[in-house]
Amino acid sequence: MLAKLMKYEWKATWKLLIPINLLIVVMTFFACITVRIDFFNTDNDGIIFSAVMIILTYVASMFVAMIGTAVFLVYRFYTSVYGDQGYLLHTLPVDKHYIIFAKVLVSGAWVLISSILMNTSILFLFNEEEDIFSRFMDNMNVMVEWAGSKEVTGFAVVMTLIAFLVEILARVLKITACISLGQLSSNHKLLMAFAFYFAIYIVQQIVNGFYYALLGYINKMTGEWYYGKSWEYSLISGLIYVVVFYVVTWYVMERKLNLD
Amino acid sequence: MAPIVQCMGLTKTYGGKIALNQIYLNLERGRIIGLLGPNGSGKTTLIKIMNGLLNPTAGDIFIDGLRPGIDTKYRISYLPERTYLQPGMKVMEMVQYFQDFYPDFRVDRAYDMLARLQIQPYERLKNLSKGTKEKVQLILVMSREADLYILDEPIAGVDPASRDYILHTIVQNYNRNATILLSTHLISDVENILDEVVFIRYGNIILQAGAEQIRKNEGKSVDRFFREVFAC
Repeated sequence: MLAKLMKYEWKATWKLLIPINLLIVVMTFFACITVRIDFFNTDNDGIIFSAVMIILTYVASMFVAMIGTAVFLVYRFYTSVYGDQGYLLHTLPVDKHYIIFAKVLVSGAWVLISSILMNTSILFLFNEEEDIFSRFMDNMNVMVEWAGSKEVTGFAVVMTLIAFLVEILARVLKITACISLGQLSSNHKLLMAFAFYFAIYIVQQIVNGFYYALLGYINKMTGEWYYGKSWEYSLISGLIYVVVFYVVTWYVMERKLNLD
Repeated sequence: MAPIVQCMGLTKTYGGKIALNQIYLNLERGRIIGLLGPNGSGKTTLIKIMNGLLNPTAGDIFIDGLRPGIDTKYRISYLPERTYLQPGMKVMEMVQYFQDFYPDFRVDRAYDMLARLQIQPYERLKNLSKGTKEKVQLILVMSREADLYILDEPIAGVDPASRDYILHTIVQNYNRNATILLSTHLISDVENILDEVVFIRYGNIILQAGAEQIRKNEGKSVDRFFREVFAC
């Protein structure tokens, strides 16, 4: 049943999200040509203007892709779970866990695809082609070092990537939990969902603040400065958020469902 | 055999407001039952609880001896008041969807009914009129071999000319051992197919009786009797 739910979730999302992601690829292609050929290095104002427009369109397309993907996935979850389509979804003979898995895994996959495409796009735009792989590895090293490991090992790289994936799931589940909590209100369901989102955001910022304050205190005491093993913090905090947001989403769907 | 639906002291409150007030109700198998009551009487709340879309505040409900859950969803075929179809999908994709999730779904029956109503399978749902979408929904629901069909306002959105066909479709296509629970305001349109009626008001069941029994005892149609009972 999970596979079937995921199949239909994928079908319902790819028609819009494939074109959005193709937009990134196409605009990257034009932006790369503009930068590589160096259209800016000319006296012709028309060519310079065109080059500027292409780069601006590229930047705008990145924002459209990022915001469009997020808005569409939120809309899709809201309408299919708590809108009229929820009457069909919640009367299917399937476990609520499967419904959440299908929604979160497919949404998470789209967020991952968009993130990879955008990062690759920026990598292509600002680096020579032959240099891209080594540049990617440099970036990965910087990321892992920044993430707190004293040395870049294969283990640290894998754990950083896992922390990144968990972070994506936590973000998707935060939205599903907020939309679900919004359903507890008889009126202003969407407004309440936004209110919950910002309340949770503030709590997360406070928790992060405490962590880094504690880390700073420990660094001062030990005299040995490091940024904290952030992949460990990201992974552990991410897993906690995943569990909490998942339970909230499941609880509302299973026990407090309130379709209009 | 145990009743297909058993409600025992079923209560639902929203805040302080009582939507269902300690309902005791048994619905037998093989009957077409009208659930009748004015707006806000608790019909939809009762139907939602049967379908597992709401949890009762107190009391118990059993569908074929089971509390609402995955197993009862295999037994119930539910037509809500809302249009729950995904607008971007084609009619044939929706048929496939039902086939994928409901083992008792009869594809041949669905396509036969679609053909009779001249609904093209490759048509996208967003291009269909509201009435046609409702017909598609009804066809999907009635193409299952369920034990209990719950139809919430099945003819409200369609033109009078199509109502007879829809009622005919309902009567012709349900499993004879199954029960149909039909909630509607258009009593005169459905009266002839009802075996039994349940009147509900302010969350209380005020009458459960055979349609023929009402006509005989009261000397008037169920529609007329309903208007008198619920007169403002």
